[in-house]
Amino acid sequence: MLPPPNVPPGEPPAPGGARPQASPGPGGATRDGQVATEELPLAGGQGTSEAAAAHTAAAPRRRVGEFVVAAVTIALGVFVVVDAGTIVVPGAAGTMGPRAFPYLVGGLLLGSGLLVLVGLLRGRFGEEDDGEDVDPDAPTDWKTVALLGCIFVAHVYTINIAGWPVAATLLFGGSAIVLGARPWWRAVLLGAVLALVIQILFGGVLGLSLPPGPFLEGVSLFRG
Amino acid sequence: MDNISALMDGFATVVQPVYLLYALFGVFIGTAVGVLPGIGPAMTIALLLPLTYSLDATAAIIVFAGIYYGGMYGGSTTSILLNTPGESASIVTALEGHKMARLGRGAAALATAAIGSFVAGTIATVLLTLVAPFMASWAVQLGEPDYFALMVVAFITVGALLGRSVPRGMVALALGLFLGLMGTDTLTGQQRFTFGIPNLADGLNVVIVAVGLFAVGEALYVASRMRHGPVHVIPVEKGWRTWMKPEDWRRSWKPWLRGTVIGFPIGTIPAGGADVATFLSYATERKLARKHKDEFGHGAIEGVAGPESANNAAASGVLVPLLTLGLPTTATAAIIIVAFQSYGIQPGPMLFQTQSSLVWALVASLYIGNLMLIVLNLPLVGMWVKVLQIPRHYLYAGILLFGALGSYALSFSPIDVLILLVIGVVGFFMRRYGYPVAPMVVGMILGPMAEDRLRRSLTISQGDLSYLVTSPFAATAYVSILVIVGLGLWLKHREKRANAELSRLGEEIREESQSQEVN
Repeated sequence: MLPPPNVPPGEPPAPGGARPQASPGPGGATRDGQVATEELPLAGGQGTSEAAAAHTAAAPRRRVGEFVVAAVTIALGVFVVVDAGTIVVPGAAGTMGPRAFPYLVGGLLLGSGLLVLVGLLRGRFGEEDDGEDVDPDAPTDWKTVALLGCIFVAHVYTINIAGWPVAATLLFGGSAIVLGARPWWRAVLLGAVLALVIQILFGGVLGLSLPPGPFLEGVSLFRG
Repeated sequence: MDNISALMDGFATVVQPVYLLYALFGVFIGTAVGVLPGIGPAMTIALLLPLTYSLDATAAIIVFAGIYYGGMYGGSTTSILLNTPGESASIVTALEGHKMARLGRGAAALATAAIGSFVAGTIATVLLTLVAPFMASWAVQLGEPDYFALMVVAFITVGALLGRSVPRGMVALALGLFLGLMGTDTLTGQQRFTFGIPNLADGLNVVIVAVGLFAVGEALYVASRMRHGPVHVIPVEKGWRTWMKPEDWRRSWKPWLRGTVIGFPIGTIPAGGADVATFLSYATERKLARKHKDEFGHGAIEGVAGPESANNAAASGVLVPLLTLGLPTTATAAIIIVAFQSYGIQPGPMLFQTQSSLVWALVASLYIGNLMLIVLNLPLVGMWVKVLQIPRHYLYAGILLFGALGSYALSFSPIDVLILLVIGVVGFFMRRYGYPVAPMVVGMILGPMAEDRLRRSLTISQGDLSYLVTSPFAATAYVSILVIVGLGLWLKHREKRANAELSRLGEEIREESQSQEVN
């Protein structure tokens, strides 16, 4: 099962690539070797085969995304170079005008984007970030990301209508629920408490003009 | 001796009770947020920026000094006690420290990290005190082309070295430069790349970009692949008297000093920041350990003491080019520049003359913050352990909320929050496809400065390009690019090899701990 088909020979496997199958490596493997090979990968309760299957399925799509990102970079570079040509240059010949630096930046975008593209064609793919709370074996959960984006947009549009505390409760409670907080009312309650505390601290005490909104308008505690 | 008396004045400012409270607040909140998993020092500062919006400049700078050092301390606690290695600067600490914690020596690992950070932080702050004024008085003589050369050095080293792949680092840098272009051109008053959005006429706010990339982007990325299930934190025994045995002291003090010696100079040059310093320190300790060589990879105290000191010493070293040249060499430094700028303070050689009292108050608060941290941190470990156990759905919801608050509070315009989301989505895709975000922030801050220097140079020379390279300093700088990048890439290559081994060890640790939880 290792390495995954898309990893070219000679490249170290990407994190989250073949790692869960934990081939006994140097350094400590001699001592704990048996343990390492017999362990299940931790995929939040998923079984080995399930996680691996999800992973190999996710890998080719990630490659497509990489090409898209490189293409977008190149397109942006072209746009910057073209658009820089439309910047009006007022008089004063002999010195560097407002167009030159944008040309340089556009050129750098274009050049580095092309370099990445060439690298991709040669099989040099990116290594995604890892972190304490990132499960290297999990497939990308697009639904969660999209929902978080929607909640964020909703937050933006409720600030002026319903006031900051309500919008903040929506953002915190909504995100927490999407990320798996149960029961839902506890997340909302926590969000409301947090939003009110921040409103009092920042709006009331520190004097930032966070709009308290129609419900809390009359309460002087919430305004600086 | 002027500097000594100036420093004393700085201390006199900082020991006023109000400012001491601010310093305490800074180190406390910095540690608390730094302890939170997934939040590195850069994100800590970006998220806490709004807290200082209503403070006066001195108080804000003191709070920032505390947050900066506190965030560094917090990170090591996380990596020692949590099952998974986190941010790259402390990955080495994570592996040795975590092994120690599993062997029941977590308290010793935490103590040697904390005391090592204190020792290294203090020595490095002394070095900063001595070196910075000389650097500044030397830097005053630099001309426009020299500064431009310095910025080109920073661009290239940051782009090439602050990530895992050079082309991707350059893409991130170019994206940052592009964002820096947005707004009104200072010399001719032309609007560039504003797309007709009035909020962009004054340029994109760097705070929004930093918070968007570090906080929102990170939260979205973690959300897309979140590790579910309970959080495993290793319990630490109570009672600080038993923390460091005489043997531990004997084995730790040399690595502390060596870490400092390695970390500080690396911090001062733009060579990839604290990562390289911690890695070099680890490699050195491993090479020098004779009696305990076989313990490396299984919980050697030297492997925590050295890298942790190197990390903190590098953090102080970063402040040298930051304060004297206005040159950020890491993402964290870039965000500190933003914090300064929001108070109308421009770090650079003139800073020591125009804002002398403020600079020395900052340096003095670094000493005091460091002292507070060691007093505060060891007894409070029990509390940090609780912080580590915050359920992840609340943690990331909170990060999103504070990120949104920080951008909204800039000018109380919801459009800013929407821009924040757009930047956050960009950050998400960058993380997903292996593009480093740090060069983007650095590029965005340095880009407009570099353009300014370049155009002024060419105005002086009346368009003669050779003026850019003829000054001895500029010529040296361009040559040194080759040396620094070559050396840096070589180090990166070695680091990568070592990291492959380290990550296998990390995997093993996680699996081991998993099996112990099950039993």
